[in-house]
Amino acid sequence: MKEQIKSWLEQGTVDVFLGYREVDHHPIPWCFTQEAIEEVDDLVVSPARYSLEKIATHMAAEDPDIRIGMLARDCNNRALNVLYVWNQLRPEQVVTVEANCCPSPLKEHADCSYLEPGTVGAYKKAVGIDNHLRLEAVEAYGPEEGRNRWMYEFQKCIKCYGCRNICPVCFCRECSLDHDDLVGTGPLLPDIPIFHLVRAVHMAGRCIDCGLCEDACPMDIPLRLLYQKVNRIAMDLFDYRTGTSGDQPPFSILGDRVTLEPKPIQPVTGAEA
Amino acid sequence: MECKLVPSVCSYCGTGCGVLFEVINNKIVGTLPMKTHPVNEGKLCIKGWNLHEHVNSILRLKQPLVKTFGRFMKTDWDEAIQLTADRFKEIIAKHGPDSIGVLVSAKITNEENYLAQKLARAVIGTNNVDHCARL
Ligand code: SF4
Ligand code: SF4
Ligand code: SF4
Repeated sequence: MKEQIKSWLEQGTVDVFLGYREVDHHPIPWCFTQEAIEEVDDLVVSPARYSLEKIATHMAAEDPDIRIGMLARDCNNRALNVLYVWNQLRPEQVVTVEANCCPSPLKEHADCSYLEPGTVGAYKKAVGIDNHLRLEAVEAYGPEEGRNRWMYEFQKCIKCYGCRNICPVCFCRECSLDHDDLVGTGPLLPDIPIFHLVRAVHMAGRCIDCGLCEDACPMDIPLRLLYQKVNRIAMDLFDYRTGTSGDQPPFSILGDRVTLEPKPIQPVTGAEA
Repeated sequence: MECKLVPSVCSYCGTGCGVLFEVINNKIVGTLPMKTHPVNEGKLCIKGWNLHEHVNSILRLKQPLVKTFGRFMKTDWDEAIQLTADRFKEIIAKHGPDSIGVLVSAKITNEENYLAQKLARAVIGTNNVDHCARL
């Protein structure tokens, strides 16, 4: 892998390669270049995941013609697909080296060293939502109990905006969550549940289930489940699997015309959450 | 294109969360929580997430100011420290060392806090030392 990356840098296939390097025993994202090619020997596949593709978009914003190589787990690849769809990066400017990835409904058989289930306290299990439940189990709570449990989770929010800031597919220049007419931006508590639901709606056809938001949430709100819910709808109604192809999502109102047809609607069987 | 992620410690409060500054072409464009940092384990509060904004702010003070005839004038550190020392000497001579108090901060290191109390006790000669964590 290191030889491959070195030859890419030497031959100018890529201008930079984004991977990880250990600095004081912390694996941190590192931008390898031809000028310091010997650093490639220190490249590690870090167990701690960062959104390398988000860093790539920031570089592309400075220099639109830059060619970027990237270490990519499956979640990074899905995020790249979404970023291509939304014109934040061009597929021809990115090449990837594959690395192992984490389990997700979009990729069943995989392993990630990072997303290990943490322990969930008894109180949270009793009144809130265990972050490690499957979506079906959360939906089985039914509308009323489900609502109460979600509200318990939402009211913990300290509005750090970490979920948005870390998200590889949140790139809007003007974010609805910063807009006073849509979501009260001032005091705590944030406007709940609207703060979380606005973001959830935006994640339909966009969230690639990387779980970085949940990792970054200081209050352990099961954000990944929330966005899995909206994407389940995209999957059921439009057969759209976010990040697995370069197709436009069914919800884009700007840009190219939507070409996706709704799937024939199945009779609803399970309880709606 | 130069892009670096530089590990640092959040300067806002005394918790000491680990952050990474995203530096592109020598400008800090973003802040990320350090995932492997033992203090914050990949999480930050809203202040930490926005550290790069105060670094780049046009309102940021980059040199000492001295109030002269009611207006703040820019000066250098040598002059500012000399002026402070002179004024301290005057006040101590007139009102005694206990007329001076030293307030230290959670934002500086343990060692710097230690040095500040040393300055208060050994140089100024007062036990009036307090810390923002007690205010
Ligand atoms: S899981 Fe969270 S961070 Fe990842 S794409 Fe979805 S919303 Fe963004
Ligand atoms: S929350 Fe919505 S508006 Fe804000 S950055 Fe994400 S997608 Fe854009
Ligand atoms: S990361 Fe968690 S606490 Fe922070 S704004 Fe998002 S939901 Fe709220």
